[in-house]
Amino acid sequence: MSIVEGKYSVTMDMWPLQSKEMTRIYPFYDNLKEGRFTTTSCRDCGTRAFPPRVVCPECLSENLEWVDLPLKGRVLIVTEEEVGVPVGFETPLIHAMIKLDDQLTVFARVMNCKMGELKEGDEVKLVVYPVDPLPVDGKKGAINLQERVFYAFEKA
Amino acid sequence: MRNVCVVAGGQSVWGMRQASERDMFQEAGKAAFAENPAITNKDVDGLIVGSAYTERCSFQTHLAPVVAESLGIKPVNICCRVELLCATGSSGIILADAMIRSGKADVVMVIGGEKLFTPQRWEVNYSELASVDHDWDGTQGLGLPPPVFSAVAQEHMKLYGTTEEQLAMVSVKNRRNGLNNKKGQYQEAITLEQAMNARAIVRPMKLFDCCPVTDGAAAIILAAEEKAKYLTDKPLVYIRGTGQATLHNMSANMANWSTWESLKIAAKQAYAKAGVTAKDVNVAQTHDCFTISEIIETEDLGFCEKGEGGPFVQAGQSDFGGQVPINTDGGLLSCGHPFGATGIRQGIEIMHQLRGDAVRQVEGARIGLTHNLSGFIAAHTVLIYGRDLA
Repeated sequence: MSIVEGKYSVTMDMWPLQSKEMTRIYPFYDNLKEGRFTTTSCRDCGTRAFPPRVVCPECLSENLEWVDLPLKGRVLIVTEEEVGVPVGFETPLIHAMIKLDDQLTVFARVMNCKMGELKEGDEVKLVVYPVDPLPVDGKKGAINLQERVFYAFEKA
Repeated sequence: MRNVCVVAGGQSVWGMRQASERDMFQEAGKAAFAENPAITNKDVDGLIVGSAYTERCSFQTHLAPVVAESLGIKPVNICCRVELLCATGSSGIILADAMIRSGKADVVMVIGGEKLFTPQRWEVNYSELASVDHDWDGTQGLGLPPPVFSAVAQEHMKLYGTTEEQLAMVSVKNRRNGLNNKKGQYQEAITLEQAMNARAIVRPMKLFDCCPVTDGAAAIILAAEEKAKYLTDKPLVYIRGTGQATLHNMSANMANWSTWESLKIAAKQAYAKAGVTAKDVNVAQTHDCFTISEIIETEDLGFCEKGEGGPFVQAGQSDFGGQVPINTDGGLLSCGHPFGATGIRQGIEIMHQLRGDAVRQVEGARIGLTHNLSGFIAAHTVLIYGRDLA
């Protein structure tokens, strides 16, 4: 039997570690599970950063609060990847540059969408979906599975 | 401050290699010493090793001492690894230049490479998820760069009227330039029709608009001018100026997709230190990871006006006989792109061009430029080399 049989390289997992034990920005993922798309905003200088931080990238304050981001946006550019998509993703892999508000434009995956279906100017909305659960060492050799989610967008 | 010269350079064969990471580092180091037999492994007092995927694809951290031992180099001034993904090699050269200039080392080898063809082909694509912002862009399936450059190309086409034919002309030119490059991944010319009719990767990027996955390594040796004068009989090539800038990392924080502001800052720094302008550059190796990249680089490096990159390649201005021949050894599109080695390969080609002994020589070249971009178009690195000191 191989020494790595049955082992899963969690630190090489493609999804981020989301639990309170592993990251200080765990509220992002907790909020995501409730359908909220959030980030941190600085109470001292007012800078809203994305992705969320533990230190304000503008004034370096740690006095941050969680704020909601728009759940809908407008498509500016569409890309359709026909070959060579990373493992875990299906062909075609569709991405779009999505304007959420005047401060934030994201380049993100658009799920549940066929080739040629998504056009510039379309409205898209946030979609939260389950991803591989995280195996974490428990007591007496037990492995506990932690639920995880991530986000993409789909046609509104 | 001392002056810094490039005194030797060489590379392994690049492509899909039946060789390990450390095999190729040895081949590249040997090639650099063989290129200028006046210099031996005993002359090197500093070693800077570049590799982006060494942990992921070869399960080896602490790579610099492995390479030093493999090549019989016993560095007493510096022995470490640098990493800036696609600009790893040129970052190593910038650091070596600074160390020599300041007197911290006299003769430094900068050597970089990657082993990317692993037994399970999916792994390298999976590792790419760590090349962008893993938690925020990798999770959107954005590890592989074609979607990003498709968006860049679409925006450039919309704003400036750049055409798919003009994109294809970049790959036709660079494949032609790589024809006699025995160390490159491809020695095969393509026609405009082939490029235009190739299968789509992410439209408008088709097969020949994208550089391939590549195994390979390259090594370059820099020396303080006074050392260089007795280490080599070849014409001296000076590092005249360097610049590197980063304004963002994650896609959401990239302010302008079709004008690369950090490239302009890095170029301005390098030109200012070198005391030259874009008009003085006789030959350039720029980061043609995709055809659209070279078009934008010709603009943002100042070789032509903004938006004129398409007409510039169409008019042959980036070809031999034009204003500034670009990617004279084939570039990434023909040579391939082992991340840690690319910036070094560019430096070696400029060394040959300025000495006058390149395979495809730009007649009378005195000033050369290299440019690397890395990550989500996040960091730009520019170096200016000169046959003369000023």
